[in-house]
Amino acid sequence: MNAPAALASTLAPPFSMVSKYFIASLFSFVLLCGVMVLSVPELQGHHFQPKLLALTHIATLGWITMIIFGAMFQLVPVVLEVRLFSARLGEVQFWLYTVGTAGLVYGFWFFRVGAHLTASAAIVTLAMLLFIINIVATMGRVKQWNLTGLFLLFSLVYLGITAVAGLLLSINLGYPFISRIHLDYLKIHAHMGFIGWVAMVIMGVGLKLIPMFGLSHGFSTKPARAALVLVNVGLLGLSIEWLFTGAEWLLTSYVVILVLGLLAFIVQLVLILKHRMRRIFDLGMKHSVVAFSYFLLSIIFGFVLAVVEIDDVKLREGLILMYGGMIMLGFFSMLIVGQMYKIVPFLVWFHTFSDKVGKEPVPMLKDMFSEKVGNMQFWILNAGIVLVLVGLGSSQSMVLTIGLTAMFIASLMVAFNIAAVFRLRSRHGNKRIPA
Amino acid sequence: MATRESLREALKMVIDPELGLNLVDLGLIYDIDLDEDSIHITMTLTTAGCPLHESMIEAVRHVAQSADLTKSVFIDLVWDPPWTPERMSEDAKKALGWAAVREP
Repeated sequence: MNAPAALASTLAPPFSMVSKYFIASLFSFVLLCGVMVLSVPELQGHHFQPKLLALTHIATLGWITMIIFGAMFQLVPVVLEVRLFSARLGEVQFWLYTVGTAGLVYGFWFFRVGAHLTASAAIVTLAMLLFIINIVATMGRVKQWNLTGLFLLFSLVYLGITAVAGLLLSINLGYPFISRIHLDYLKIHAHMGFIGWVAMVIMGVGLKLIPMFGLSHGFSTKPARAALVLVNVGLLGLSIEWLFTGAEWLLTSYVVILVLGLLAFIVQLVLILKHRMRRIFDLGMKHSVVAFSYFLLSIIFGFVLAVVEIDDVKLREGLILMYGGMIMLGFFSMLIVGQMYKIVPFLVWFHTFSDKVGKEPVPMLKDMFSEKVGNMQFWILNAGIVLVLVGLGSSQSMVLTIGLTAMFIASLMVAFNIAAVFRLRSRHGNKRIPA
Repeated sequence: MATRESLREALKMVIDPELGLNLVDLGLIYDIDLDEDSIHITMTLTTAGCPLHESMIEAVRHVAQSADLTKSVFIDLVWDPPWTPERMSEDAKKALGWAAVREP
């Protein structure tokens, strides 16, 4: 018999610290969707311009990375069975990160390059550094490593690279010093951020959560192990080649390796879903399955974009924006919304009802929000994303506007539902679990 | 006086909030042992490192204790033999969407 793992509640970081990240993230999502509706002309130009940079960073920093921080604070201790190194550091990081992100987004929007942008980027980088320190110190206590832990460890390396590359880029906008083409550094920054950081976290966390939610047992993890190796080799190789102008054939080989790695993870997901005992997809899983389909689609689309020459500049720009939208809206946002329906109810349930089980009736997680609103939101969000992608690819303002409006409505519905979950906590008392 | 059967019935009150099914039907209660002054329950959970660990164990303890206040309650959380979906009752399988239960 294995000794039972340390008890979850003694490992869980304080509710107030973790929930701040979730709330700030949700706020950013609504803000992102709202501002996008008002930015249709900007969404049809070149991808490297102020308003679009502002929107991208509301999405990547305010929405996506913000919620990854919150989720990792909650999940890393549970998954690796260790106590978080410092909840207080997490609290400090939150405020630094929020101020830095707000400053950065403001700086991009009004194009205040120079001191303002650099200071904001430095604060964001510092906050990320604090996060890396906190999680690495937590991982230092791990006795038994698992695949999820390894994915998360590597993701931290890429978060560091993304942050530093981003800081250099922001300085360079005000005080040009990078002799190489700015857009080359942007490539590293974006790919490290999207694949190295976000996708790596998704792979690691997904490997744990998808089987847990789906009750999948007895599947092989070989594809995930292959994914870990291939994605790392591909990403590191690509960055080195981009930095030191390597041979074309090397670049292509690394792209192929990277794509194979991502595809291996998709194979892993299919394997997990095939082995699932819980046949019916709930709201969270429905979102997730759509999200992973976009993941597959964006891998194929990205690969085609990389190898096929498109001479029509307008079409090429539209397709690049469509590619970005596929990843950020179809894959990341859809997945986050879905996982929010799983993680936030659990977070509130755990801190509010866990000591009442068996003594008095406690709600089921799915009863903590309106499933009806959630289901409607699921379809509106889906329709919205499809229209936005079509609108971006074809530069059709009308289609884009309708799609973005649908997404904005969906984001308000998500906020409504998640707020309902948080309200349960204030209604049922604030039992404090010792941290 | 609590019996194995009455305890098993009582433990159906403990419901996994994520799945909406009770621990007995999920097949997580491996064994209930009664002697003159104690109740021993051997149980597992669906996933090692499951964040619901403590809540579920405490709930089982509470239910068992309420069934017989005179006895000491001991809970043994084991991972061996590991839980497999085949351990679920027919009702539980049905609730999870297995219209006709397939042979593994």
